[in-house]
Amino acid sequence: MEKRNFRKFPIYNKRGTRIFKQQQRENPDPDVPIHKRGVRDIGYQEGDKYIVIPEKIPELILKPYVSYRTPDVIQSEFTAEDLFNVIYAPKVLKDFKEGKLDADGQPLEPSQEEKMTAEEAKIKARQTGSDIF
Amino acid sequence: MRITNLLFSRVGKWSKQYSNLPDRYIKRAMEQVYWRNPKGIQYKPNAVIQRKKYLFTLNRPWTAEFRQDNAPGKRHPKVFVEPIKEWSFFRGDRVEILVGKDKGKQGIVKQIIEERNWVIVEGLNCELKQLGNDKDFSGVYIRSEKPLLVTTEIALVDPSDLTATPIEWRFTEDGQKVRVSTRTGRIIPIPATAEETIDYKTKATYKEQPKDTGANEVTDITFVPKLCTFEMDIMENMGIKEDRIPAKSYWY
Repeated sequence: MEKRNFRKFPIYNKRGTRIFKQQQRENPDPDVPIHKRGVRDIGYQEGDKYIVIPEKIPELILKPYVSYRTPDVIQSEFTAEDLFNVIYAPKVLKDFKEGKLDADGQPLEPSQEEKMTAEEAKIKARQTGSDIF
Repeated sequence: MRITNLLFSRVGKWSKQYSNLPDRYIKRAMEQVYWRNPKGIQYKPNAVIQRKKYLFTLNRPWTAEFRQDNAPGKRHPKVFVEPIKEWSFFRGDRVEILVGKDKGKQGIVKQIIEERNWVIVEGLNCELKQLGNDKDFSGVYIRSEKPLLVTTEIALVDPSDLTATPIEWRFTEDGQKVRVSTRTGRIIPIPATAEETIDYKTKATYKEQPKDTGANEVTDITFVPKLCTFEMDIMENMGIKEDRIPAKSYWY
């Protein structure tokens, strides 16, 4: 029985006859590689040995199932308004109460976020790290 | 007319409760698609020919026996079911049977089949069936409960005097909806086994398995709102600094 090489019928991993699978184990056919199904390698092959890199092994913190005892968690949408309330609002309130706002309402001691100008924002939007495409 | 067909083909809430199966699975197990329109702009999208009217029997809708009863091509005479606004009978309720051989006897509700307004009372209103009749062997007798109609053949039992009463749903002073017997005015509480499923007796007594995440880890909020995109956050964590200033571009 020769190697099988059908393009229409991919025979990965457990598919194929017993002899074919034996051949794959000893002398893997380059046209029929092992299909890893999306799982990433945890090391690399060095000749005959396989070296494991411990940092590549994923750390599973959460288990696959949830116990029935957990109460229902209802999370409302986190909008831009909520983000504003967390980042800018406390400083604005503090400045208003202490009277550190000038006539226009601009802060006299602006924070890092308040100092950003339109040009700076445009540059940031085009640098690495922006999500505007 | 189409809306009512779909409505009456849906499985009732209390019928599914004990099995603890997700709705998606029940829908998938029940549906019988005969033809689905191919994909393409020339075809009408989402056009499906499927079974719309089911005969609900004592078999649960996701079982093979139900599929056999509702095999493609099988038609049944229309089953008339009185629509009930509020379902008042739960698993573990003490009920009295008003008709039949076991008239006057009280039993506990074992199974609910809401689509037909049926309730199965444990050990009562049974039929004896003889199975496995041979020439030599006389066969075995099997006793199985027959379903009872909730509207006419069953009545809830008042705990104060242990007799059948008609009931009403009323609100308490706290705003809770409860069943009240119209004769005595006694509140008939919903039994604890109403919450029971095949996986647990109550949610609080569920035994946590090794693959279950605990309540603390699930309800823990680890989100910290930051004024940066996901990519910027990664850059900060990895220590990647972006100092290059992109050249200005103009639109003419």
